[in-house]
Amino acid sequence: MMKNIITLTLNDLAIAFKNKTIFLIIFIPLFVFFSLKLVDSAPTDIKKVKIGLIQDAVYAPVILQTIASADGVFTLSRVSSEEEGKSWVKEKRLDGLLLPAENQEKGLILIVLEKGSLQALSIIETFSALQNLVEGKNINWIADIQSLQQGGIQKQTLPTWILMLVLLVGFIIMPAQVAEEKEKKLLIALLQTPMREVEWLIAKVLSGMILILTAVIILQVMCNFETGSILSYIAFILVGSFCFSSYGIFLGFLCRNQASARTLGVLFYLPHLIPSALSDFSQKLTSIATFLPSYQLYEPIKNILLNDGHISNLPLEWISLLCVGLLTFLFSYLLMKRRWLM
Amino acid sequence: MLIKVHNLTKVYDEGRGLQPINLTVEKGELIAVIGHNGAGKSTLLKMLASWHLPDSGQVVVDGIDLKNRVAVSRKIGFVPEVPNLFEFFSVEYNLKIFARLFQVPFLRIEEILQEFDLLNFRKNRVQILSKGLRQRVSIGRTLLADPPILLFDEPTSGLDFDMTKEIYRMIKAFHAAGKTIIFTSHRPEEIKTLATRVIMLHQGNLVFDGPPREYFQSEVYEKLCLL
Repeated sequence: MMKNIITLTLNDLAIAFKNKTIFLIIFIPLFVFFSLKLVDSAPTDIKKVKIGLIQDAVYAPVILQTIASADGVFTLSRVSSEEEGKSWVKEKRLDGLLLPAENQEKGLILIVLEKGSLQALSIIETFSALQNLVEGKNINWIADIQSLQQGGIQKQTLPTWILMLVLLVGFIIMPAQVAEEKEKKLLIALLQTPMREVEWLIAKVLSGMILILTAVIILQVMCNFETGSILSYIAFILVGSFCFSSYGIFLGFLCRNQASARTLGVLFYLPHLIPSALSDFSQKLTSIATFLPSYQLYEPIKNILLNDGHISNLPLEWISLLCVGLLTFLFSYLLMKRRWLM
Repeated sequence: MLIKVHNLTKVYDEGRGLQPINLTVEKGELIAVIGHNGAGKSTLLKMLASWHLPDSGQVVVDGIDLKNRVAVSRKIGFVPEVPNLFEFFSVEYNLKIFARLFQVPFLRIEEILQEFDLLNFRKNRVQILSKGLRQRVSIGRTLLADPPILLFDEPTSGLDFDMTKEIYRMIKAFHAAGKTIIFTSHRPEEIKTLATRVIMLHQGNLVFDGPPREYFQSEVYEKLCLL
């Protein structure tokens, strides 16, 4: 009996090795380790905080002197008006905008994109330390913090949920579906008909896009969130769903069976999800995430939902998603023509 | 001639496959492709069915190069050894989706269901059907577009005696209706019962091509098939 159990266990492990499931066992802990390392180490070597001051506003001299003397910590910029300052914060050209508080001689109002962000915390901590150094314990210079992002924490997490849904369909569902059709020889059966390869591919992409759109609509309806520029939002969801459906189909073509496709899907899912979703908390992760198509979807969606962003301000992101989608579509077509692993 | 195969080659990573093969098939022939496991029988059929792409060589079907898959798809029907059907869907759904792709009227589905005695199973999911019934659905699906050439890969593999007889009957009926048929087989009785021509492959090479009677008296048969 024991011998059989050992034989079967070894067989299962051999199958896990063969269908690459074993890679997940190694990959997931490694990936989480490196991601956490990047997140944890980020604040220690944080870059200079970009602070904006209004050109004609009157700030307390002691505050101006302190900011000027802390040039190793701050990069100071002058903006002509509060409106211009806010738009700079939205465009991430500034981490925070300081306004003089009314009725307080040394009071400041800090305007940031997100109250709980790394940048906001960094500005508050630095100011607190500088104030302690200059005046000792006194009334806090920063009297109020205002966030430019609208909505509560639920709305602020919405871009992450949307990204999760899009990537789930793109990297988990689509590759498994394509690999299943290959494994069960269903795709080859369909190719016995006068159907063209490109027709099958378009149908597959559309089915992926429909799945993604359905999931996003359900989420949107259930949570009843306002979306800002609805056209920009729809445009990005459409191009994002095209990009990741096409990407997923391409991954499916690289696999011989469903098990391999699931493994490969996870190998792509986590590295696309985590750096993008955690980019708000770590500058290092942000610098990595910039190269990922998932970030090119996440950032615009966040911008549109939370900062009233518009597609006309995000052409690069839109085009890059479209290019990745078209490129993976082309690769899938070539692999299909070659009957790759069919 | 209906099919012309010229220097067709396919070699797999492990070295097996098909060495350059040349042959012609006339309209109305019923050809048995035989040989040991790994001889290249299924590879030859799968290349004729566009399942596999050849490494080199050319196949012309009724004057059309096989590379033009869309044009040839109505001329060749392939029944694989293991039926490749949408298992979670009904028999009718499986036929409908292919009828749509072949652009044949749904009336043809009724004909197929009747011809293959599948009317009682039309709403049944393929998953719950026996192997024999699945094979019937698979053959029915292939015949939707009424292709003049039919390819069967081990059509009776794993079937019981009654179902095997049924498949023989069908193949004979298709042949009598003027179709050109090529099937792979291991069974001598199948070759004797059905074939009008035998093609034997050995290690990817064509080693015999002639009528069944000559095959059973040939040196090749004695050398390779008798103990």
